[in-house]
Amino acid sequence: MSLTLVIGNKNYSSWSLRPWIAMVAAGIPFEEMLVPFETPEFKRAAGPAAKVPLLIDGDIRVWESLAILEYLAEKFPDAQLWPADVAARAHARAIASEMHAGFSALRGHLPVNFARKVMKRSLTAPAAADVARIAAMWTECRAGSGGPFLFGTVFGAADAMYAPVVSRFLTYDVDVSRETRAYMDAVTSLPAWRQWCDAAVAEPWIYAEDEIDWPQVHRA
Amino acid sequence: MSLTLVIGNKNYSSWSLRPWIAMKAAGIPFNEVVIPLYLPGSKEEILRHSPAGKVPILIDGGEPVWESLSILEHLAERFPDAKLWPSDARARSHARSVATEMHAGFVPLRTHCTMNLWLPPKPRPATHTPEVMENLARIETIWGECRARYGGPFLFGKTFGNADAMYAPVVARFHNYGLPVKADTRAYMDAVMAQPAWREWYDAAMAETWIMQHNEPDWPLVRGKPVE
Repeated sequence: MSLTLVIGNKNYSSWSLRPWIAMVAAGIPFEEMLVPFETPEFKRAAGPAAKVPLLIDGDIRVWESLAILEYLAEKFPDAQLWPADVAARAHARAIASEMHAGFSALRGHLPVNFARKVMKRSLTAPAAADVARIAAMWTECRAGSGGPFLFGTVFGAADAMYAPVVSRFLTYDVDVSRETRAYMDAVTSLPAWRQWCDAAVAEPWIYAEDEIDWPQVHRA
Repeated sequence: MSLTLVIGNKNYSSWSLRPWIAMKAAGIPFNEVVIPLYLPGSKEEILRHSPAGKVPILIDGGEPVWESLSILEHLAERFPDAKLWPSDARARSHARSVATEMHAGFVPLRTHCTMNLWLPPKPRPATHTPEVMENLARIETIWGECRARYGGPFLFGKTFGNADAMYAPVVARFHNYGLPVKADTRAYMDAVMAQPAWREWYDAAMAETWIMQHNEPDWPLVRGKPVE
């Protein structure tokens, strides 16, 4: 049975990136249906919650990035999207949930925008607190697991949840420690990352509300 | 191995209610630690238990699990007989979608109608903003679809599970802020509020004395009376 993943524009849709990169990195085959925001196709395709991403598996519809990752972890146990050890798995879920519902200061201040020219944006105090918490969490996870990913050698669901944060840190040239940079390098070295990035920068759509330099649009 | 659940004040801490009511309803034994929020030293006390600095926190074998949703996932794995998620894969994916939609969503409802069990239930029209009414409509659709598809009285059938636990604070918000709900929605709220676990939480909340002014929409009235 084939899977379809409905996603938004790759340049801006941070939530779409999460299941997409998890599936591509794990080698789970799927068909991609990209529906640009604010179009009639989007409204038709975006599912019961009117949001992307949406995973379609036969007549099953799964929405919310984290719920999609749980579904994939159950359906493809060999992909090891969650760690096999129960305590590590609980830890991975805790930080994945923390991302899912949190860090709104960071997300509001540094919107995902792969195509933007890399230029520093100074952080607000709440955004800086989010950065500090995330950096501490990544360091703790990698120290515990040995890295290079958060829970070891497999890029898993927790990494997928934080993949948009890696992009935010890069685009806005956030000051990070060498340790944090090493994690970001591990993520951006994935072929799946490169594939998404190349597609994102090739997109024609521009949304003023996600362009912090508006009416300027800086491109590399 | 014994479990400890660290929670905030019962009157106000909506996120704490979720794992607490799931565990009580399922008969999972645990020790409870209450840390009243936003008092001097509260933050430090919470950070002693978890690096994320937020309640609720489940401590299982010395290891902290934080975030209500991941605590519920952990409990579902550890206590499979409690059936916190539906056993059918399709229903389970549905339950996770609606639970996760709650976890990160409905910000207007959460902001305008902060949980406060002390509030005398009545419509507070100033809190019924267009965005809150949109949240209400979406939640009524979710609840209505789930109960119609799985037979009720709870979202996924006869067992009060993780999806119900995630929405338990919403039941309180709808009730205390007097949102104009449909009869079917009211029936679901009644089913949740009829649970002994709900009553136990409610009674404990009533007995609390910590007042958080920013979560008191009728201020300077608290519990319907002028604050002393």
